[in-house]
Amino acid sequence: MMLQDGSTQLLCLTASSGVPLFTRGASRQLPFSVIGSLNGVHMFGGGQGVVLSCCETEGGGKVVWRVFQESVMLIAVSGGGPGGAGSSSKEEEARLQRLLENVWNCMVLVLGQDELANMRNVERIKRDLRSCFSLIDQLLEERHEGFLGNLTHCADSLLPPNPTLVQEAVDGFAQAADSEFGCLLVHGRIAAATEKWWRLAPQEVVLLSVLMRSLSASGSASCDYPVFLPHGSPTVAHRLLRFHLLPGADVCVLCGPTPSLHRAESGLVGRFWSPLVETLRDCLAVGERCLPASISLRPDMLALLLINRETRRSVSCVRAPTNHPLSGPPLLSKARCWELLKLFYSFSMTRYFSQEETLCVSPEERTQKGNTEDFVLGFTHQPLQCYLVTEECKSFGLQTAQHQLFLVTPPSVPTFALRTAATQTLSDIVTATGF
Amino acid sequence: MANVNVGQCSTLCDGQTEVRGAEHASGSDSESTSSTCSSSDYSDDLEPEWLDDIQKNGELFYLELSEGEEEAALAQANASQGVSTNHVRFSEKEAEIITEQNKKQRCGSRAKGEPALKRLARILRRKRRPSQRRGGGNDAGKDDSTLTPLASILKNQPSQRLGVSVQQQQLKEVCVYLNPKRLGGSSTPLSDSGGLLEALLGVIHRPSWTRGHGDSTFVRQEERLTVHGLIPNSPAIKCGQILIGDVLVAVDDVDVTSENIERVLSCIPGPTQVRLTLETEAPVDGSNAGGTSSTRKTKSSPPVSQLVRLLWGEDTAELQMSIGHIPHIAMYLSLQLDSASLQEEEEILYQYPVSEASTQLKGVRGIFLTLCDMLENVTGGRIISSSLLLGKHLVHVGYWKESNNLLVIGLPADRVPLLYLQTVVGDVVRTLKVMYGSLDRAFCKADHTPRLDHFFCLFFQQLIQPSHLRDTSLAPTLDVSGTLFLDGLPAVRWLTLPPEIKMEVDTVLSDFESSDFGEMSEDFFGLRRLYVILGSCLFYKSYLIANHLPKEDLLDVCLYCQHYCLLPLASEQRVGQLVIWREVFPQQRANGGGAVPGFSQPQGRHFLLIVGLRHFMQCVLLEAGGCASPAVGSPGPDCVYVDQVKATLLQLEALEAGIEERLNAPPAPCLSCADWFLPAATARDRLDSLASSSPVFSKLAGAVKGPTLGTRGRSLFGEKSRRSSPQRSLSDSGSEGQMDAGSGSSSSMAPGFSPHSTPDSARKLGGRRDSLGSGGSDGSGGSGGLFKIPRMKHPNPFYLGTLKKTLTERETEEMYNTMKLSSGAENTLFHYVLMESVQGIFIAPTHREVAQLSGSIHPQLIRNFHHCCLSIRAAFQQSLPPRGRRAADRPQGGGWGLGPVKEHGVLFQCKPENWTDQRKPAPTMTYWVIGRMLLEPVPQEFYVCFHDSVAEVPVEMAFRLSFGLAL
Repeated sequence: MMLQDGSTQLLCLTASSGVPLFTRGASRQLPFSVIGSLNGVHMFGGGQGVVLSCCETEGGGKVVWRVFQESVMLIAVSGGGPGGAGSSSKEEEARLQRLLENVWNCMVLVLGQDELANMRNVERIKRDLRSCFSLIDQLLEERHEGFLGNLTHCADSLLPPNPTLVQEAVDGFAQAADSEFGCLLVHGRIAAATEKWWRLAPQEVVLLSVLMRSLSASGSASCDYPVFLPHGSPTVAHRLLRFHLLPGADVCVLCGPTPSLHRAESGLVGRFWSPLVETLRDCLAVGERCLPASISLRPDMLALLLINRETRRSVSCVRAPTNHPLSGPPLLSKARCWELLKLFYSFSMTRYFSQEETLCVSPEERTQKGNTEDFVLGFTHQPLQCYLVTEECKSFGLQTAQHQLFLVTPPSVPTFALRTAATQTLSDIVTATGF
Repeated sequence: MANVNVGQCSTLCDGQTEVRGAEHASGSDSESTSSTCSSSDYSDDLEPEWLDDIQKNGELFYLELSEGEEEAALAQANASQGVSTNHVRFSEKEAEIITEQNKKQRCGSRAKGEPALKRLARILRRKRRPSQRRGGGNDAGKDDSTLTPLASILKNQPSQRLGVSVQQQQLKEVCVYLNPKRLGGSSTPLSDSGGLLEALLGVIHRPSWTRGHGDSTFVRQEERLTVHGLIPNSPAIKCGQILIGDVLVAVDDVDVTSENIERVLSCIPGPTQVRLTLETEAPVDGSNAGGTSSTRKTKSSPPVSQLVRLLWGEDTAELQMSIGHIPHIAMYLSLQLDSASLQEEEEILYQYPVSEASTQLKGVRGIFLTLCDMLENVTGGRIISSSLLLGKHLVHVGYWKESNNLLVIGLPADRVPLLYLQTVVGDVVRTLKVMYGSLDRAFCKADHTPRLDHFFCLFFQQLIQPSHLRDTSLAPTLDVSGTLFLDGLPAVRWLTLPPEIKMEVDTVLSDFESSDFGEMSEDFFGLRRLYVILGSCLFYKSYLIANHLPKEDLLDVCLYCQHYCLLPLASEQRVGQLVIWREVFPQQRANGGGAVPGFSQPQGRHFLLIVGLRHFMQCVLLEAGGCASPAVGSPGPDCVYVDQVKATLLQLEALEAGIEERLNAPPAPCLSCADWFLPAATARDRLDSLASSSPVFSKLAGAVKGPTLGTRGRSLFGEKSRRSSPQRSLSDSGSEGQMDAGSGSSSSMAPGFSPHSTPDSARKLGGRRDSLGSGGSDGSGGSGGLFKIPRMKHPNPFYLGTLKKTLTERETEEMYNTMKLSSGAENTLFHYVLMESVQGIFIAPTHREVAQLSGSIHPQLIRNFHHCCLSIRAAFQQSLPPRGRRAADRPQGGGWGLGPVKEHGVLFQCKPENWTDQRKPAPTMTYWVIGRMLLEPVPQEFYVCFHDSVAEVPVEMAFRLSFGLAL
C-alpha cells in the first residue's frame, strides 16, 4: 500500500503532455509510475470520448480526476480509513471534488488564469506554482480545526457582540483606502465586511479568508499581496492589503494601484482602528464560539454549524466537552467533534439537501456538476430534516428556506428531543443576531 | 432509432424475397428433421410436455401460460400497443442463420435441445414480413446498403410470385396464441383435409379440387389459403379478426400456401404466439398506400407480455435494441497477459451486449484493467467502482475481481445510484455463482455464452426498462428505487398467514420433503434414491409463504427466481405450467460454510427444481451424492420428482381461497393513505370518491364475503385490523345492505369537520363503525395484541346487526388502539418494511394493500420512501465490516468516518401537484422516513414511513411489528 490510511495526495500535471507540475500532501510521494498511470487512464479515456471522473476502492479509498481549462489536470488520491468502516463513498467524493476546485481556484488566485491556461514555459510555471504551496497545504490539511469554508463554500464568520460599530469601521476604512472591498477577520473568521465583499463569489470569499490566515500566520504586521479573483477577475490582478491590528485580528482591503501600502498603514490604520481597540478585544473574546455570549446554547450540544443560504455565511462552533469523570462513556475530543460535524454535513448535503451554487457558477463548473450523480434529484418530495444516530453521537440537520443547521449531540440526548433542540437553537440564534 | 426505421424500410422493400430465400432453406432441411419433430409433437399423453425442452446438459426451463392468460392476452392484443415485433433488424452476422454460433445467441437457453427444424422455424419467424408496398424507390436504394449479404444474394434468385401484385389487397395482421401441446393432448385425429390448419389454428380451408375446380396437382402447388370457415372455440375465431374470405398470406412472416402451410405450422415448437398476415378482399383505391400504413400502425403489439417472451428467449435482440443507446455493459476480462496468442481482443472472455454505446465502454476496457491492477497497490483496497461520463450519460462501473479475471458491469447512473451499485453487482455475482459454481466456470465455457447473453439481457432489461417487461395495467406504479431496494435486501418477501393455513401448508410441504411414499421412497423400486430433498420453499403470487430451507440456500434460490422474474410472473400471470431444473451451487454449501465442528457437508451435487402451477411456485433443493446415489453426467429432471411437486401444488390449491382471503384482508398494521392528510379534499369528497371507485369497493366487498364461502378462520391479521380506513366501513355496511346508511352518516358528519382534523375523525369514525360492523364477531376473541389470533369461526356479515349492540363504545376504542403500529390517537403509518436477517425474510404491505389505498400522493410517497431507504440502507451497510480480508483489523469504537449507524431518519414535505389556487399557499404534509438497525434480540432492519404529527420511537414500532412474526 503506497498511501497511508486517511491521507490525501494531490497530483498536478499538465493536461496536454502529462508533465508533473507538483504533488502535495501525504508524507510519501506516490511513485512516478503510478502518477503516470493515473494520468494515463484519464487521457486515454478522453481520446475515446469517455471522461473518467472518479473511482472508489474497498475501504473507502478514492481517486478523483478533473481537468481545468483544458490545461491543468488535478488528481486527488485518498487512502481508505482504517478497516474501511468509514464515511461512505459519496461524502469522500464530495470532499475531494471540493478540494480540487479549491486548489484550482487557489492556483488562479496566485498566478492568474492566463498563465495557467496557456502554458508556454512549463519550467517557469513549476517554479511559480511554489508560491501557492502554503495555501494548497492549508487546504489539504483538513486537521485545521474550526474552519469549514473549504467544504461548505460559505464564509466562516464570527458574530461580534456589537456589530454596527465594527461594520462602520470597516466601511470607513475601505472607503478611505479607495476600495469597495474591505473585511475584518477575527480569529481567521470574518467579523465584518463591506457589502461588496459579500458580493464576491463564495469560493473567492472563502479562499481570501484562507489566504489571510496564511498571511497572518507569517507574523508580518502588514503586506501587499497581488491576487487574481478566480471568478471576478481571473486575468487582472488586484492588490490585497492586509494589516495586523491585534493578535488574532486582521483587516484587509482589495484595491487598485493606490494607495501605497505605506500610506495606508501609516495614515489610515491608526485613524480608523485605534479608537476601536476595546471593541476589537470584545470580538476577540468571543473566540472560537463565534457567537456572542448573550446567546446561550443548550448544554448538551457538542457541535453546531449554521449556514445562511442567502448570504453564504456560516457560523460554526464546537464546545469543549466538559469532562465529568463519572459520566459513563468517554467524551469525544474536540477534534473528533469537528470531524463528525464535517462528515455529517457532507452526508446530509450529498444525499438530501441541495446546495445552491447557481450564483457565480461558470459554465465549466455546471457541466462538472453533471459529472456527479445527484441522489437528491431522485426524491419526489423535498427533504427538510434528517438525523443520524451512531454509536458515538447523534446528529441532526435541518433546512429552511434561508438557513441550514447541523448539530452534533452526545448519544445521551433522546432522539425525539433532537428536533426541538434544533429548531429552538435556530430561532434563538436568528432572533438574537439577525444572522 | 434511425436504425429501427431503416430496418422497417428494408422490410417493406426486400422482405419478400428474403423470406422466400430462407424458406427454401427450411424446405430442404425439413425432410431430414421431420421425424424428430413428429415424434415429439404427436407423442402420447403420458409424456410430459416439457420433455423435449430439456437441454443436453440436463437443464430445463419450460414455461407455459394458462388458458385464461392466453385469452387475456388476446383481449389485450387489440388494446395495447407497445413495442412492435418486427422492428428488428438483424446484423449481417445474425442473418447467416445456419451457423451454430449465431443461432444459439438468439435463441438463448432454449436453443440447445431443439430439433433443427424448430430452430429454423424460429429464425423464419424473425424474418421480415413480406411486404405489400413496393414503391419508395429512394428507401430501397438506401436500404440496400444496409441489407445483409444473404438477402442481396437471394434477391437475384428467380421468384415465381414476384410478379403478383399485392397492391390491391389490404393486408392485416393478427396475433394468435397457439399451443401445439394441447393438440397432442386432445388426440383428435387430424382430418386429412384440414390438418394442422384446422386443428391448431381453427381455419377451414377447402382446397379447390374438393370443390371441383381444375387440375388438382396444379392447384395444390399454387393455391392461396382462403379462409372458408372457422372452427368454434379455436384461436382463429377467438381473436375475432379472421374473417371468412380472408386469405392467409404469411405466418410469422413466412409466406404460406396450401403447399407449405402444414409444414410451417408443424414447426411451431411449443405454446407461442404467431402473427398471421391476412389479405382481406376489401376494395382498394388509390389511397391504399395510406390505408395499409394505417393498418400497420394499428397492428397489435405482441399480446403475450414482453417478460414472458423474454423468458422464452424470444425478442431478446429487439428488447436489447431498444436500450442500445443507453450505455451499459457486462464484460469479463482477463488480467493475465499471454503474449503468445495472437488472437485479437483476447483479454475479453465475455462481453454483452454488442451495441453502439457499449462499444465505447468496451473501447476503454484498458482503463478498467489498469485501475484494477494499480489501485489495489495505491490505496490498499480492491477497486469497487468508477464513474465515467460518456457524452451526456454518467455511467457507474462496478468491478468484481476473482482470481485473475475481472467482471466489469457498467450501468447508467440514473438507473442505479452509486450507493447501491455494489449491492447490485454483488447480487449478480452471487446469482452467477449459484448457477455455475464460479465466475470462471460461468464465463470461460464457450457453450455458456448464449445462456449468459440471455442472463444479462434479463439483467439489463430489468434495470433499464422495467416498464417494458411488466404489463403496465397490472403494475401501475413501478418504481425503480423500490425494485432496487427490495431486491437488494438479503431477504425474501414474506406473507404472514393465519396459523391454520400456515400449518397445513407446512404439513403438506413436510410430507413432500420426507419423500418416503410412492415412487419417491426407496422401497418402491428397491433402489437407492436419486436425490435427497434438502428443503423447499413455497411462493404464492410472489410472496414466500413457507420455507423449509436454510437462510443462505433460500437467498440463493430467491436470487435465481428474482433474476428470472419468476416472482412477478407468478403474481401477474397465471402460469399454466412452469418447470425449471438445473444444477446449482448453493453458496453456503459450496464454501463449506457451516464450519460446525464434527460436521462436514456431504460432498454432493445440488439441483434446483422449480415447479409453478398457476399462482403457486415451489422451489425444491435436491442433493445427489451424500445419502442419495451420486449423480452422473448432467441428469435431466426426473419425472417422479416433478410430478410429486405438482401433486403437492395441486394439494395446496385447496388452500388458495384462504390465502387469497388473507391477501384481501385489510392491511394488518393498518395503513393510512397520504392523501388523507392533505386537507385539500373535504371528507365528503373523499368518501364519495371512495364509494364511487367501484373496483376498490367491489374488491373489499368481495373480501368480506370471502368467509362465507366456507374457508376456515380469518387471517392472522384478520379482524383486528379491519378498521383501517373509511373504505372498510363503507364496504362493510355495503355488504350488510346498509350502503345508504353508511354514506348517509358520513356525509352528515362531513360538514362538521374542520379541514385539518378531517382525516383523524373520519378515520376514527370509520374505524369505530367498522369494529362495530364485521369486527363485532371477534368480540369473543377479546382484546388481544396486534398479532393475537382471533378465534372466530364463520363471521357472517348478515348477522352482524345483532352483534353490534353487544359491544360497548369503550371496548371498541380499546381495540382500535391495540392494533395500530403508530402511537397516538390516529393512525399515522403510511408504509413499512421489516427485514429479519436471521430468517432472511422481510414483510411489507402487500401490493394489494397498497393498491387499496390508491390516492395520488401515496404512490409518490412510496416511491420516495424506497428511494430514501436506498440511502438509509447504504448508511447501515457502510458501518458494517467490509467483505473480505480487512474485516479483522477494524478498529474498536469507530474513530474514523461517521462510525456505525444505528438509526437514520429523514423528514419530507410534500405538496399536492398542480395547486391552482393562487390565494392560498398549497397545503403541505410532512412525514418521516426512518430506518433502524437492530442487533438485539435478533438482527433486524426496519424502515417505516409515518406522518409527522406524532413522534415515534422506531424501536418500539419495530418490536410491535416483529412480535409474533415467525416462520
